[in-house]
Amino acid sequence: MKKRNCLVTAVLLALAMVMAAVSGGAAFAADQHITFALHSIPDSIDPGITSETYSSAILYNLFEGLLTYDAQNNLIPGQAEKWELSDDGLVYTFHLRDGLKWSDGTPITAEDFRYSWLRVITPKTGSLYADQLLPYVVGAQEFFDGKIGEDRVGIKAVDKKTLTVTLKSPTPFFLGLLSTYTFFPVQKATVEANNDKWTLSDKTYISNGPFKVTKINFNESYEFVRNEHYWDAKNVKLDRLTFIYILDTSTALTAFRAREIDGFWEAPASDLPVLRAESDELVTVKAFGTTFHLMNNSAPPFDNPLVRKAFNLAIDRRALIEDVLGTNDSPAYSLVAPGYVVGGVDVTEGRSSYGMAPGALAKEAKAALAEAGYPDGKGFPDIVYYYSTNDTYKKTVEALSAMLEKNLGIKITLKTADWAVFYADVQAGKYQIGQYGWGGDYLHPMTFLPLTVTNGVNNYSNYSNPEYDALVVEIQRTTDQKRAAELIRKAEDTMMKDYPILPLFHRSYSYMMRKGTAGYFRSPLNNLYFRDAYVTD
Amino acid sequence: MLMYAIKRTAMSILTMMALICVTFLMMHAIPGGPFTSDRGLSPAVEAALNEKYHLGDPVLVQLRHYIEDLMRGDLGVSYQYRGKSVNDFITSGFPVSGRLGCAAVVFVLLTSVPLGITAALKNGRWQDMAVMGIATLGVTIPSFVMATMLMYIFSYRLGILPTLGASSWKGYILPMIALGGYSMAFLARLMRSSLLEVMGQDYIRTARSKGISEFRVVTRHALRNALIPVITVLGPTMANLLTGSFVVESIFAMPGIGIHFVSSISNRDYTTIMGMTIFYATFLIAIVFIVDIFYCLIDPRIKYD
Repeated sequence: MKKRNCLVTAVLLALAMVMAAVSGGAAFAADQHITFALHSIPDSIDPGITSETYSSAILYNLFEGLLTYDAQNNLIPGQAEKWELSDDGLVYTFHLRDGLKWSDGTPITAEDFRYSWLRVITPKTGSLYADQLLPYVVGAQEFFDGKIGEDRVGIKAVDKKTLTVTLKSPTPFFLGLLSTYTFFPVQKATVEANNDKWTLSDKTYISNGPFKVTKINFNESYEFVRNEHYWDAKNVKLDRLTFIYILDTSTALTAFRAREIDGFWEAPASDLPVLRAESDELVTVKAFGTTFHLMNNSAPPFDNPLVRKAFNLAIDRRALIEDVLGTNDSPAYSLVAPGYVVGGVDVTEGRSSYGMAPGALAKEAKAALAEAGYPDGKGFPDIVYYYSTNDTYKKTVEALSAMLEKNLGIKITLKTADWAVFYADVQAGKYQIGQYGWGGDYLHPMTFLPLTVTNGVNNYSNYSNPEYDALVVEIQRTTDQKRAAELIRKAEDTMMKDYPILPLFHRSYSYMMRKGTAGYFRSPLNNLYFRDAYVTD
Repeated sequence: MLMYAIKRTAMSILTMMALICVTFLMMHAIPGGPFTSDRGLSPAVEAALNEKYHLGDPVLVQLRHYIEDLMRGDLGVSYQYRGKSVNDFITSGFPVSGRLGCAAVVFVLLTSVPLGITAALKNGRWQDMAVMGIATLGVTIPSFVMATMLMYIFSYRLGILPTLGASSWKGYILPMIALGGYSMAFLARLMRSSLLEVMGQDYIRTARSKGISEFRVVTRHALRNALIPVITVLGPTMANLLTGSFVVESIFAMPGIGIHFVSSISNRDYTTIMGMTIFYATFLIAIVFIVDIFYCLIDPRIKYD
C-alpha cells in the first residue's frame, strides 16, 4: 500500500513539474484579494497611540513612514526620498517625495509629520509609545512635561517637503526607529475633527500607505483596497486586502483548511509538529526576539552571580525547544537576538556561550552552586517560579523547574496569576524567578540592551552594573558605526558574564499562508507587509 | 400585582446599586491597571495616561463620577479600545450575541421539552434511555469540545457549514448547538424528572379515573405543573444564552459581546467591566421578573399580592 502511494505521488509530482515547465510558472490570478486572520483585537489602529503587535499588521499596510523596509530587511526610502545627517550626528534632514498624497487625495507635507510626532509627545493624546520619541529628540521630554512650547522641540518643517529633526545625542538607530508605526503621519484635519474616534469609521480613516480602508467592522474585520494615491500605487498588485479576527488559532487552522481564509498570524502550537512535517503552507521566519526568564538580581539567592550561573547551566534548552515546545527556535545564551548588523558587522556572530550548551551541564551547574555555598543544593532556599497564566508558559516553566530540581537538587514551586497581576508583581520586584521575553522594535541591538540597564523602565531583573551602563550610554552617543559594533559586543559580554537573566531561545514566527500567495513578507521585527504581495492561480 | 411589580422594581434598583458599588470597588482592588503591560511605561507617560483617564483620583471619587455618568446613560469609554465607548460595544455586539442567543433558546426549547416529555412518558424504555444518554453527553461535554467537534465534522470534513459565524444564517447553526447543548441536556433531564413526579400525583390518578384521555391528562393536567421548575431555570438560562458566550464566540469568531465579559477583566478595562456587569445584571433581573409573572399564568395558586 505504501509503495503504491509513493508511486502515485511520484507520478503526480512529475506531472506537476511538466505542467509547470509547459506553462512557464503560475499565472497571475484575476482576483487579487487576500484574507488574513489575526488573533487579537488591537487596542487601537491609531499609529500614534498603540503599542500593540496586532495593530502592526494593519498599520504597516495602511501607512508608510519616512523610511520602510524591503524584504531583505534593508531600510529603504519610504515617504522620504532621501535624507542627510549633519557631521556631528545630531541633525537629520529629510526630503519628502514629490506629489505625496493622503488616501483622500489631499497633499502630504513635512508639517504633517511634524504635527503627528508632536501629537505623540502631547500628554493628552495618551500615546502608549511616547517613550519611542521622548529620550531622543531635543526638547521632547521638556515639551511633554509642559516646560516648553512646541516651537522649541527639535522637529521642524523647513518647507513643504523638508523636515529636520535635532537629536539630543547621536542616536545610530534613529532611522530604524523612524520606520516604526509611532512615526507614521496622521492627517491633522481628520484627527482634530474626530479626536479619538477618527479610527472608528472608514469615512474618517485617512492613511498614506499602499492600502486604504473601505470598511471597518469592529471586533470582526477590516477591509482595504489599493490606495490609488500612494506614490508607488502602480506596483501594488493586490486589489483588496481583508483582515479578520479569529481569536482561536485552531479555528483559524480549520478555516484555512476549509479555504475560507488565505493565511493567519500564528500556527497553533499544538499543531506545529504535524504542520512542519506535512504542510508546505507553513511559513517560519527567524525573529529578532529572545525568550528569557527573569531572576530577581536584587534579592537573595539571585543576587549571587554564581547562583544565576548555576541556573543557566542546569537547563536543557534543546529539550525545551524540541521536546516541550516543538518549535523551530534556536537556543539562546545571551540577550540580543542573532543577526543584528551594525557598521557592516554582525554583532552577535561568534559570541561566547558563557559556558552554556544546548543540553544541560549538570556537573558544571552543581559546581557553580557549590561555589555559591550550596553544595548539592543543601541550604538553598525553596524557590517560587512565577508565570502568567498561559498554556505555553505553563509547559515551559514546568519543564524548566523539573530540570532545575533534578540538576541542582533544589526545590521549586510554581505560582501563576493573570498577566496584569503577574506584570504588576514583576514590575514591583515581587518575584524570585519568572517568565519574560522581548521582541525587537527596530533593527539595532539598542532595542535589547536597555533591558538590563540600571533602573531602566524594562529592567525587571533589577540588574545593575555601572560599567555596562556606561557602555550603553557610549553606544548611544557614538557616530562611528565600527566603534559602536565593538561597544555593543563589549557591553553584552560584560553583562552576560554576570548571568543576570536566563536566556532560553531566540524566537521564530510560524504562520500559515496559502500556496500561490507571493511577494508578502513578515520581517524579523514581526511586521507583515502586503505592499508587494500578489496571488497566482 | 401592581404593588408587587413596584416592590420588585424598587428592590431591583437597590440590588443594581449595590452591585455597581461592590463591582467597582472590587475591580479597583485587583492588582494591575488598564495600562499594565509587559512593556513598562516611563513614569511621565504613565502619569499622563492616569491623568487623561482620571485614574489618579481616589476610588470613591471615581465611583461618584461613574454613577453620575451612568445616570445620564453613559457607560464611559473603554480604556482598552481607544475611542470606543462601552455603549458601542453593547450596541454593536449585542445584536450578534442576541441573535445567537435567541437561536439557542429556540433550539433548547424545541428539543429539551419534547425530549424530556418523551423520556418521562416512556420511562424505563429505550426512548427514555436514548434521551438520557443524549442528556448526559450534553451535560458532560464542555461547550468548547462540542464546538470543536461540530466544526471538525460539519465545516472541515463535510464542508456543509461555515467555520466562521455571523456573516450568514448558516454561520449561526453550529454556534447555536454548541451554545445550547448544555442547557438543552439539563432542561430535558429536569423536564423528565419533573413530569415523572407530577404523573405520580393523586390528582393525575383522579383525572385518569374520570376517564380523561392520556393525552389530555398529560397536556392539561400534568404538563402545566411539571413546567414550573423548568420555567424557573429557563429564566437565568435565557439570560445566559442571550448575553453571549466567550468560549463559543471566540471559537466561531463571532463579533458578539461575550468576548468582552472575559477580556475586559484580564485587560483591567474598568469601564467595560462595569458596563458588561450592569448589562448582564439588568438582563438577568428583567428575565427573572418576567418568569415570576409567568408563574401566575401557569399556576393560579401563586399570587403575589
